[in-house]
Amino acid sequence: MKKTLFVVFMLMALILTACGAPAPAEEAPAAEAPAAEEAPVAAEEEAPVAEAVKLTLGSWRVDDVDAWEAILAAFNAENPNITVNFDPTNPPDYNATLRTQLETGTAPDLYFVRSFATGLELFESGYVASLADIPGLAENVPAGAIAPWATAEGEAFAVPIAAVSHGVYYNQDLFEANGIEIPQTWEALLAAAQTLQDAGVTPFANGTKDAWDINEVVMMTILPNNVGGLDGRMAYLNGERCFNDADVVAAYTQIQDLAPFLPDSYTATDYYTSQQLFVQGQAAMMFDGSWSISAFEKDAPEFNWSVFAAPAAEGQDQYISFHMDAAIGMNPATENAEAAMTFLEWLEGESFGEAFGNGVPGFFPVSNNVPTLTNPVANAFLAFNGNAAGTDIRFVWEKLLASPEGVVGTYGAMNDGVIAVLAGDQTPQEAADSLQEAIAAWYEPAQSCK
Amino acid sequence: MIENFKKRFQKDGIWVLFLLPALLIYLVFMAAPLLDSMRLSLYTGKGYTPTEFVGLQNYIDLFTNPVWRERFLGALKNTVIFFAIHMIVQNSLGLFFANLLSQDFKGRNFFRTIIFAPATLSVLVTGFLWTLILNPHWGAINQTLKAIGLDSWAKPWLGDENLALVTISLASVWQWVGMPTVLFLAGLLGISDEILEAARVDGASSWHIFWKIKFPLLKPVVGVVAILTFVDNFNAFDVIYAMAGAKGEPGYSTDLLATFFYRTGIAGEHPIGIPNMGMGAAIATITFVILMTGVLIWLYSSRKNEDLV
Repeated sequence: MKKTLFVVFMLMALILTACGAPAPAEEAPAAEAPAAEEAPVAAEEEAPVAEAVKLTLGSWRVDDVDAWEAILAAFNAENPNITVNFDPTNPPDYNATLRTQLETGTAPDLYFVRSFATGLELFESGYVASLADIPGLAENVPAGAIAPWATAEGEAFAVPIAAVSHGVYYNQDLFEANGIEIPQTWEALLAAAQTLQDAGVTPFANGTKDAWDINEVVMMTILPNNVGGLDGRMAYLNGERCFNDADVVAAYTQIQDLAPFLPDSYTATDYYTSQQLFVQGQAAMMFDGSWSISAFEKDAPEFNWSVFAAPAAEGQDQYISFHMDAAIGMNPATENAEAAMTFLEWLEGESFGEAFGNGVPGFFPVSNNVPTLTNPVANAFLAFNGNAAGTDIRFVWEKLLASPEGVVGTYGAMNDGVIAVLAGDQTPQEAADSLQEAIAAWYEPAQSCK
Repeated sequence: MIENFKKRFQKDGIWVLFLLPALLIYLVFMAAPLLDSMRLSLYTGKGYTPTEFVGLQNYIDLFTNPVWRERFLGALKNTVIFFAIHMIVQNSLGLFFANLLSQDFKGRNFFRTIIFAPATLSVLVTGFLWTLILNPHWGAINQTLKAIGLDSWAKPWLGDENLALVTISLASVWQWVGMPTVLFLAGLLGISDEILEAARVDGASSWHIFWKIKFPLLKPVVGVVAILTFVDNFNAFDVIYAMAGAKGEPGYSTDLLATFFYRTGIAGEHPIGIPNMGMGAAIATITFVILMTGVLIWLYSSRKNEDLV
């Protein structure tokens, strides 16, 4: 008896929970109704103009809170009735957090948008407003910077604010002590590394424990030199070249060249440890991105340091990995679209360029209205662009990240190849072959490449 | 009056009413999300509200698509190794420490406290501390090995595909060894002194006393410890996340079912970060089925043992 009663009760409970599920859906229209009624009231309130508006700006830049508050204060000074609050999320959680906020209707009014696949996916899901009508975007921002946040048809959905550069940080004191000049060719770089190693100094601080850094700040920094920058990359994307051709193999070969000059136990050396090896003067050079300027400055190394561009092989042109990193888009569900639009327009102008370029050294404003920067290392990075044959974004970002489920991602395939080549598990040719194979599994132009 | 109530309580099933509050909370916060997650595993789509119904396609992909299968089987294998190391090393050490701590000696309470102390810390904290200790450049372990001339023993502990999983497992064992110790200790202290004294009078050595008297009496505790180890470690995520990252570096060699689930269903692959919730739910459901099977086997076998007794 007891048992039957219990079973009956459990069944009832199950049915109850099952019935419980659709309930919110039924409630949904009811919840919408009051909102619709409220809307006209809100509009009436806005009518008298100059009403104070508060906006929230979502971001993944937790390291730059102070700088961003200064930038937003500069905006507020020009637009006294609009206050923007900076509300950053830890970078690895940013995409997931933003997505949850958007789906639950708690997202900020404005937010940082990642370039290419991630941003485009948000736009296609209706979570970023179209900026087809924003005034001045085409005049104030170069087309190459807009493209990462626009559809294939050219419809923009975010205002690009920041690019990052990549290069080799170096310890000037150690270079001087060992009589080394800034290497102008890849061969000279290797010779310098050999000199340093002979003197008992670890030449490069980079490691592979975190995996992404060897890929993004080493491999994709030397790739443009090897493949011929933007034009070269486009040839791969159009299927005119295969991802295992001689140039890609050459890039993997350069990775192989670096292997003997990495720290002991480089496989257990993470990104932060690499930076510390450099800052403590234990390693003479480190491939890294411009975003690390402030981190290095904060640690205040007891030696002089600067950066040089990753040199191309003898006789090749030099290209710089100058990556479009961040843009700001607008939440289509924001109640203050007009104020948000004012802010987005402000991002195109000179006062933002001034406040941002100098406030967050290592992130370069991309609009045409960029003032002279004050940070010497940031300027050293910028000087690469003028001296090089051209700049390009990171190799796999455009198109190649948009792989379907159930295939090896391009980023991962390249990353695995780099680590395998360093470890001696693959030859540069084998690594390039597996890259080609991974991409050709889903990317049509690569299937018919020549 | 009380008699009457007791009668009604047992016969008429009023006891159900007393269960209701807890049962409701359980249903709403445990059972419903679990069932909903199983439902989600039948859907696909990007973001956190997959809408396209695909039936069992996620499961089929997981077992047949070579890319998914490699990751899944790799994670499963690593999880089994991770669990086995805990089962063998952590629980043997726990039994050993419990036996020591059940003896009478000076400072016994102090040692009883410190053996449990790591278990009270956050895994993220201990994981971070262990990555510092294991750091190849300034970590204590390699510094010590080099200082005593064992340079060749100074390995990249967390960077070698053959070492990383074992290293992290042992760090986790270090943190949690207090748990089985406390459980075994409680079991040992519950054994009546009279039996042990009688054995000693009969001339049994302490080795004999442990294996012939204490251990058989500890068997129920061994079962509880085993099932707790199983459930905790098949679910393990935090220590890998703290020491190797969500990708289970190096080369997926420390990727567990939970990190595989997290990467697939919550975070998405770096640098795109678009999760596949449906597939994530499928991985979670399979993990649940594995755990459920293990627990049921244990329940069934322990009940059988009770019947025998």
